[in-house]
Amino acid sequence: MAHIEFKNLRKEYGSTVAVKELNLEIDDGEFLVLVGPSGCGKTTTLRMIAGFEDPTIGEILMDGRVINELEPRDRNIGMVFQSHALFPHKTIYDNIEFGLRMKKIPAEERRIIVKEVAEMVHITPLLNKRPGQLSGGESQRVALARTLVTKPSTFLLDEPLSSLDAKLRRELRAEVDRLHTRLRTTFVYVTHDQEEAMTLADRIVVMNNGEIEQQGTPMDIYSNPKSYFVADFFGSPSMNLINGEIVEENNKLAFKNNQLKVQIPDHFSDKVSGKVTLGIRPEHVKIKTDGGEIQDVIDLVEPMGKDTLLYFKAGAERPFIVIIEGLVTNDFKSGQSVGLDFPDDKVFLFNEHGQRL
Amino acid sequence: MRLNKRNKKYIFEGFRYSTLTIWLVIVGFPLFWIVGTSFKPDAEWFAWPPVYWSETPTLSNYANVWMGKEELTVTQYAQSMQKPWKALGNSTLVALVSTSLSVFFGAILAYGVSRYQVLTEARMFQLLMLRMVPPIVIVAPLSLHYSTLGLLDTHLGLILVYFLTTLPYAVWMTKSFIDEIPMEIEQAAEILGASKWRTIWEVVLPLARSGLVATFLFILILTWSEYLLALLLSKTEVVTLPVELSKYEGSTEGRVYGRQAALAVGITIPLIIIGIFIRKHLARGFSFGMVRR
Repeated sequence: MAHIEFKNLRKEYGSTVAVKELNLEIDDGEFLVLVGPSGCGKTTTLRMIAGFEDPTIGEILMDGRVINELEPRDRNIGMVFQSHALFPHKTIYDNIEFGLRMKKIPAEERRIIVKEVAEMVHITPLLNKRPGQLSGGESQRVALARTLVTKPSTFLLDEPLSSLDAKLRRELRAEVDRLHTRLRTTFVYVTHDQEEAMTLADRIVVMNNGEIEQQGTPMDIYSNPKSYFVADFFGSPSMNLINGEIVEENNKLAFKNNQLKVQIPDHFSDKVSGKVTLGIRPEHVKIKTDGGEIQDVIDLVEPMGKDTLLYFKAGAERPFIVIIEGLVTNDFKSGQSVGLDFPDDKVFLFNEHGQRL
Repeated sequence: MRLNKRNKKYIFEGFRYSTLTIWLVIVGFPLFWIVGTSFKPDAEWFAWPPVYWSETPTLSNYANVWMGKEELTVTQYAQSMQKPWKALGNSTLVALVSTSLSVFFGAILAYGVSRYQVLTEARMFQLLMLRMVPPIVIVAPLSLHYSTLGLLDTHLGLILVYFLTTLPYAVWMTKSFIDEIPMEIEQAAEILGASKWRTIWEVVLPLARSGLVATFLFILILTWSEYLLALLLSKTEVVTLPVELSKYEGSTEGRVYGRQAALAVGITIPLIIIGIFIRKHLARGFSFGMVRR
């Protein structure tokens, strides 16, 4: 178990700044997910915790002790790599045993621990094979087991599931979640997949351009994005974002672009003017067969099984998507004109700099 | 008439195999000639038209060269020639020690270049450029230095010069194999508690083994068959096999082609045997690790 703290952490590579003044605390036993697009500094941050990168400025503390000068092997940390990084010349058994041998645990004890952990992640039948003979999912389980045996105080996971296919990813995601519930140690998990972040995290830290864009619980991040970037990043399909401007009509403010005009909720009235982006999640738009605030023509109907997606143009650069529960292909056809309602409490507005209004 | 796909393929294959056949003849003929000559009695060495298959094959050349059995039919045989066993000993010592040094230090340097950029790209290239200087250019000043340092005609002298001249190859070759080993595998070992040396011993070396073996053989062949430096930096004591070989057609010793061929075959066999023993590594090593991932 470990409590980790970053104080004014900064990392530069030559003239490029990978991480800018990062201040963050990770609680004992917390499952923290660092998420963001590639190049946002999340992996660099993780590698600084591991000790593979030295911060240019700032301190990393573990349980109150500065660990900047500590070698990776002295930090009592376990790391699972994106490429799994198994030792190709050793059997699975030897791979898992490696960390125990380095810690000079007696042979008899090693055998017991390896067996126990292998059972825990369901890889007992693989112990005599070599990494080259395993599938992607199997080698990721081995990588987990190899880290587990050393009983680290903190697990660092660097996009561990990104090389797997969708079904396996879901399966192993659940496995990681179960492990955390069972071990209750600190997990720091890096991913660019918002779905993984949403499902696994106690707390999500969204990074962009080397800075923390927003942090909070998954629910908080999803329903209360502080910026255009976060709003756009989370959710699948992502939030509908339409560029336009604020106009005044009959003493009321409205959002307008070349195709639609919407009254904006009253609570915005004293904050907005000029160019803005309007955002609303696909599941929050109400469809009305007659009436409705704005009228638009259905461009495409996409049945997903459980839900149906309706595509509109709405003057947006990307398709404007509405999710309706259930299969409704009989009720809606492309080319049909319908009414769209934006509930007041579900509408977001962002200014030109991407900040939420 | 347009060629259909199958005919095109036949023509291509025909071209391919005829080219390869010509190449094989060019490469194989000298070998055939050397081996053939080593079994010919002296009358056939100079015969015209040349004798391709000896009418009366004999082992006397081998007996003479390797067991010192003198046959007086060779009038110009000179006593100044060293016994080949001594040259074999010299060559073995010089080649093995210098190759080992070269591969060992080359690998260490290559690891530093690959992981810590101890040499820039430009420096790495300069290192190779050094090898492009013709040996004859350096050998004259070197022999002067060697005579003042007392290194002329010594094992140490030859070992040093071979070690230094093959080091660039060793660095370049081993670097390409070390580059192939993902950094993350080393980091995985480190974070599991292995020290740097432990990581190199347990992870890097086993993974680079095939490459190191291939490099070793490559450099061994270079040093084993090196002639010019060996000729000019040695006199009578540290004569190596290629130098010994050349004595069989010197102006004083005469042209004892059969004996020379018998010696040449003997020089080549050790390399072939080593090659057979490590062919598994060679196939992997010379594909530059590309199959590994």
